[in-house]
Amino acid sequence: MFGNKLKVSLYRYNPEEDKFPYMKNYIIDKPERDIMVLDLLHLLKEEDQSISYRRSCREGVCGSDGMNINGKNGLACITPISSVIKRNKIELRPLPGLPVIRDLVVDMTEFYAQYEKIKPFLQNETTAPEQERLQSPEERDKLDGLYECILCACCSTSCPSFWWNPDKFVGPAALLQAYRFLADSRDLKTQERLEALSDPFSVYRCHGIMNCVNVCPKGLNPNKAIGEIKSMLHKNKKDIIVSDGV
Amino acid sequence: MDSNFTSFFWIFVYMKGSFIWYTQRYTSLIILSYLIYIFSFIFNNQDINFFSWSDFFLSFQVRFLSSIVFLVIVLHAFIGLWTVGTDYLTKRTLGFLNVSLSRRADTLRYIYYLIFGLLGIMYLTAIFYIIWL
Repeated sequence: MFGNKLKVSLYRYNPEEDKFPYMKNYIIDKPERDIMVLDLLHLLKEEDQSISYRRSCREGVCGSDGMNINGKNGLACITPISSVIKRNKIELRPLPGLPVIRDLVVDMTEFYAQYEKIKPFLQNETTAPEQERLQSPEERDKLDGLYECILCACCSTSCPSFWWNPDKFVGPAALLQAYRFLADSRDLKTQERLEALSDPFSVYRCHGIMNCVNVCPKGLNPNKAIGEIKSMLHKNKKDIIVSDGV
Repeated sequence: MDSNFTSFFWIFVYMKGSFIWYTQRYTSLIILSYLIYIFSFIFNNQDINFFSWSDFFLSFQVRFLSSIVFLVIVLHAFIGLWTVGTDYLTKRTLGFLNVSLSRRADTLRYIYYLIFGLLGIMYLTAIFYIIWL
């Protein structure tokens, strides 16, 4: 349709000037080689300095440039345009479900509040050894597929349960981290962590639709971790009916 | 947790998630078992007629089982409807559609619960009437 031109449809919103968000189309020459979506945004920014987006490491480590690319969440810096382009068109929107600050920049307060809620740090009140708390190779293996999360929020913002109840449902990213500490042999607050997740919303609003698995740019499986947490909660016989920590 | 959010259905708030999860799964298993029981009667009686069907449903055993199963159906449905209500009839979700709707979200959710609560009671009353009277 556009020959060797590329149409980029970009979500634009500047609360100081715009009453409502809108989609703005940019037609640019199709890059000769396959570039990343982030590079495409740089090209657009050369044309229009007012475009706003987050970026930092540009190699899929910092998780700053999570956005909705042609309907699927992903990191712009590690997504080649060839993998997302449809009929010479790319549509870029901010991560869904979070308030938009400007253009592709979203307010991640709710996302971080959930992360804070799961207490993402080792809790072990026993006297620390001289060097470090040791783990067997098997115990360490349990953390694989969990610790690699970069908190880009692609998973949580693709989850309808997180869209509807971001203040109550912890969300896939934070639940993946919750299990990372539940599975850690050095952490001794398993019971307290499970109690904090035992209400009907924190974990049980996950209905296993697996959008999180589908979009995770690091190839992680939050749904499996949530299943493990549910399994631990089911085995946790203490006060199975009534929750006091809601 | 915001106590206003589901104060009308506080029982769900203070119940553990796993208890509600188990309740929904076990109730569905009870419903499935009942259906298998009914279908096994149908398939094991080739010459089924009004009288054999009537005798089957008038036995105390089937009446009792049917009563339990319909109670369980209402419980199972209510958990699902409570989930739908707390997902879609909230200030936030209705706010995606309309601001004034969002302001009335709590009232709308209570009306929704009330309607389905009443429907559940009417449904059970009718069922028990049919089964026992």
